[in-house]
Amino acid sequence: MENALKINGVVKKYNDFTLGEINAAIPGGFATALIGANGAGKTTLIDVLCGVTGKNSGEIVYFDKLSDSDSNEVRNSIGYCSSANFFPLDWNLKSIAASMEIGFDGFSRERFSQLCKKFKIGDPNDRKQKKLMKMSDGNRMRTYLAAVLSRDTKLLVLDEPASSLDPLARDMLCDIFREYIADGNGKRSVLFSTHNIADMEYATDYAIFMAGGKIIEQGFVEDLKEKYILVHGEADKSEQAKNLMISYTGNSTNFEGIALADNMVRLSQLDTAVEKPNLQQLSIGILRKAEKDGE
Amino acid sequence: MKIYQNSNEPIYKQIAAQLREDILSGKLRPGDALPSIRVLAQNLKISVITTMKAYEELSEEGLVTASKGKGYYVNAQDKKMIEEQYMRQLENDLTNAIHSAKIAGIGLDQLSGILRTLWLID
Repeated sequence: MENALKINGVVKKYNDFTLGEINAAIPGGFATALIGANGAGKTTLIDVLCGVTGKNSGEIVYFDKLSDSDSNEVRNSIGYCSSANFFPLDWNLKSIAASMEIGFDGFSRERFSQLCKKFKIGDPNDRKQKKLMKMSDGNRMRTYLAAVLSRDTKLLVLDEPASSLDPLARDMLCDIFREYIADGNGKRSVLFSTHNIADMEYATDYAIFMAGGKIIEQGFVEDLKEKYILVHGEADKSEQAKNLMISYTGNSTNFEGIALADNMVRLSQLDTAVEKPNLQQLSIGILRKAEKDGE
Repeated sequence: MKIYQNSNEPIYKQIAAQLREDILSGKLRPGDALPSIRVLAQNLKISVITTMKAYEELSEEGLVTASKGKGYYVNAQDKKMIEEQYMRQLENDLTNAIHSAKIAGIGLDQLSGILRTLWLID
């Protein structure tokens, strides 16, 4: 599988916000992160991709062959899960299992029970059940994840799965992504949004950066780490360095920011310290530039 | 395999270095399969693309070959090429040692003495 999703010229218009035009390819067999500030359009894009909301124009190709018109097969192949209230709040594990079984092909009750146990959220076979509204945000998210992972899918699409989870649960989420992808042997992919990339760095293969409803950068993380450099320098050189940098913050002592690796030699001549950025530093640099451009 | 997640050395380079050593030392033999990219990523708790980049580096060096859909296999190694690689590494390490010696004001005789002692200890 070449691409899990191919997004061609997708536009979605609201009164006060326009998503698009979006062109992107979500590579098959990898985990892709949608990174952006609040209001960048991550959730809107995910909703369009999963058919939760319609689009004004453009097309989406699923798994190199299906279009939105093959909606039943698409729906059964994608495990979609949002951070918003995904199930009615008076539901419990038992009613979720029952509805998932009716709603989707390939839902495994056994796997759901195992995952509920693993996530320590209860047992869908117990007589006494706790309603979703009585659960903590973190446990609610775990419940949604257990439900979506109990289906036989080719693509997980998760909107802000990490934000309500504690550090240990985030670590487990990364393990789950890698396990899901490894089990699929190249045929399973993950797409998730986040505005807190640090915890998800080691589970991210491909990154798509969004701002103001548009994609501002995308690529495999290892390639992006070679395309950009992280630059630190002393304040007296900041004016000269500024012009060579993509984003920049400084004070009376020093400055830092990211630049294209092509400018490495010229920046080194300004006595700067240059290093490889991690995904978090890269994200801040790219999003800061977008914020500045938007002003 | 062990990796430093907070090192300046990129993780893919650390993985490539360890596999390279295993191949050059004969621990991995010609025809042996490298671990699956996705399983290795899962086990090392790193992203798939990072292990893939490590394997691609080894492939570019001619140490392994990708077999479409089946993963990576260790190539039959050219003994002479391996010796040359070690020789380059050795020259590099010794140059670093000379550099440190000069900074510390240590002469060639003393440096040779240190080398001899270390050789005998190892």
